[in-house]
Amino acid sequence: MSKPSTYSFHFITLLAVLLLCFVINICLGSVNISFIKTIQALFGTVTEDSSYYIIWEYRLPKAITAILVGGGLSLSGLLMQTLFRNPLAGPYVLGISSGASLGAALLIMGTSLFSFVFTFSTFNDISLAIASSLGSFLVLSLVLVVAAKVKDTMALLIIGLMFGSITAAIVSVLSYFSKAEKLQQYIFWSFGSLGNLSWMQLLIIALCTLTGIFLSIISIKPLNAFLLGENYAKSLGIGLKTSRYIIIVATGLLAGSITAFAGPIAFVGLAVPHISKQMFNTTDHKIQIPAVLCCGAILMLLCDTIAQLPGSVSVLPINAITSIFGAPVVIWLLVRKRKMIF
Amino acid sequence: MQEKKETTFNNANDSSTSIQYANGFRIETQSNGITIIKVLKPWVNAETTHTYALVPKEIQASVTLNKNEYDAIISTPVENIVVTSTTHIPALEELGVLNQLIGFPDTKYISSIAARKRIDSGKIKELGVNESINTEAVLELQPDLIFGFAINDGNSTYETIQRAHIPVIYNSDWVEETPLGKAEWIKFFAPFFNKTKEADIIFNEIETSYLEAKKLAAEVENKPTVLSGAMFNDIWYLPGGKSWAASFLKDANANYLWNATDENGSLSLSWESVLDVGKHADYWIGPAQLATYKEMEASSQHYTQFDAFKNKKVFTTANTKGETGGTLYYELAPQRPDLVLKDLIHILHPGLLPNYVPYFFKPLL
Repeated sequence: MSKPSTYSFHFITLLAVLLLCFVINICLGSVNISFIKTIQALFGTVTEDSSYYIIWEYRLPKAITAILVGGGLSLSGLLMQTLFRNPLAGPYVLGISSGASLGAALLIMGTSLFSFVFTFSTFNDISLAIASSLGSFLVLSLVLVVAAKVKDTMALLIIGLMFGSITAAIVSVLSYFSKAEKLQQYIFWSFGSLGNLSWMQLLIIALCTLTGIFLSIISIKPLNAFLLGENYAKSLGIGLKTSRYIIIVATGLLAGSITAFAGPIAFVGLAVPHISKQMFNTTDHKIQIPAVLCCGAILMLLCDTIAQLPGSVSVLPINAITSIFGAPVVIWLLVRKRKMIF
Repeated sequence: MQEKKETTFNNANDSSTSIQYANGFRIETQSNGITIIKVLKPWVNAETTHTYALVPKEIQASVTLNKNEYDAIISTPVENIVVTSTTHIPALEELGVLNQLIGFPDTKYISSIAARKRIDSGKIKELGVNESINTEAVLELQPDLIFGFAINDGNSTYETIQRAHIPVIYNSDWVEETPLGKAEWIKFFAPFFNKTKEADIIFNEIETSYLEAKKLAAEVENKPTVLSGAMFNDIWYLPGGKSWAASFLKDANANYLWNATDENGSLSLSWESVLDVGKHADYWIGPAQLATYKEMEASSQHYTQFDAFKNKKVFTTANTKGETGGTLYYELAPQRPDLVLKDLIHILHPGLLPNYVPYFFKPLL
């Protein structure tokens, strides 16, 4: 493991790239707004046409969402991979994302099936976020109950995956009995979206993400110990049980709140920790936590810029871009380094 | 714009039913009394046509047909049928043959009052989910035929039903791109029930009413600008310039802002670009399933940026529902384009049809 100080150049570069990606993301979109006008709009000179609104109420919250979503999902992926000592873990295990999907599916498609239970005649983004948060919270609480009984982390991983299968099955049944337009609404939700969040919703994600980051920072020592195996960690005198809970809660906060508002965004949580480990060549969480936050944010900003197809009137679903664009990066890194750092 | 397309078949002794607007089917009655119906485009991008032979019961014994040449041979008039789309219901009702409908998948989506009565009294049986109609229930009902629809080749449910010798007739009214083209599909149903003359009369009335309304609208010089559709996530879905919905707006003498696009289905655009073009549109017709201004604002604050939203000029079909929650527009509009057009004229040119009461399009609540 290298000393943290040697990474200052890495971090300065990453932050500079992040800032650049942020500016590019705000400047580019379907509607052509000049750089000067963008800056004017950002710094308060109200322009008469709709560009001021587009910049302030659409592109800026979207860019900040991208940073929070990218950083938060990547951090939750890192926590899961370390906790389970499994390079394939991500927010999708433990059933957090599938719990959110179940919540969303019940709200969108369940209304016709269980009309006697649900009285929503309509739904909006807020109720959708509440439903999917409840879904993740429910699955996460079940996992926590099981975690108290099961001592083996691998068993917990399998149980999380099983919960995922159960929720996926319920979603299938709901889809089967749903009317085409309800099904369509659910599918649109599952594409993920960064652009339809208000400042208020953004504040909620920011609070959850910051709490998640805080919990991760206080868990740096146990996280590093987990990499060496549970027994070894125990021999170091680290309170495993409490740490395990804290890490699970942090993951739930990060992945749950993000999935609730932005939909299930694939790939980022799984891939970014690998990208940053290859870049920094270390598994020390003191380095990795800030590194995945930066890398995740940059990746998400880039993906969103591509998804907006600058200059064209069309947009692509963000969920497809993250995988199409991100997966080759991981493959390239692994082939180049010829080994996985874990 | 709709062009008249009179099509005739070659044989001198045969007579063809004139199909003026619909592109999807042709009907020819041969001198021996057999009617041949060709469905030219059973689904979008279909490469095969379907051919059905309709043989009147009284001449059935005296004719022989090569089975391989037809997708189904039907003896007419048929007595018990199953249809699969709510858009089929108004045609049956207008032709006076609704009492021959004995089954439907997802009956709760039917809004027609007459049909609902028959559902409630158990005369129209529930057949499960539309995309995978309950095969056993159909086999138990033993209808003379099923009017189905397919979005592509290879519907295994229909194949099972056909193996049980229940013919499946593909109705592709939904592929039709013009308002009168869709309405003309009433002529497709008619020969099965020996109601050809009735269908012609009904369609002519609709056509006349539509063309008169269109002419009335064309006299106005002021063309209001129109925005349409709604966002799912941050993608805005709205009708393409060559779509059914856009034809209505054109015929209502409105300036639909995406008229110049070539899509005959829907466009998916970024929110920014829609704001750019549609911010100052006079009217907003059809914001998907959104039914109230409050709901719109809750669904996305970006909607509030449009003049049509600020000036409360948003109109929707989402509030016009049947007894069990089906949207009336989906069921009846294809059959009654004249009503749709009059609704739009009433909204877009307030002076033209002052006493008209809109049928489908109502202001948002």
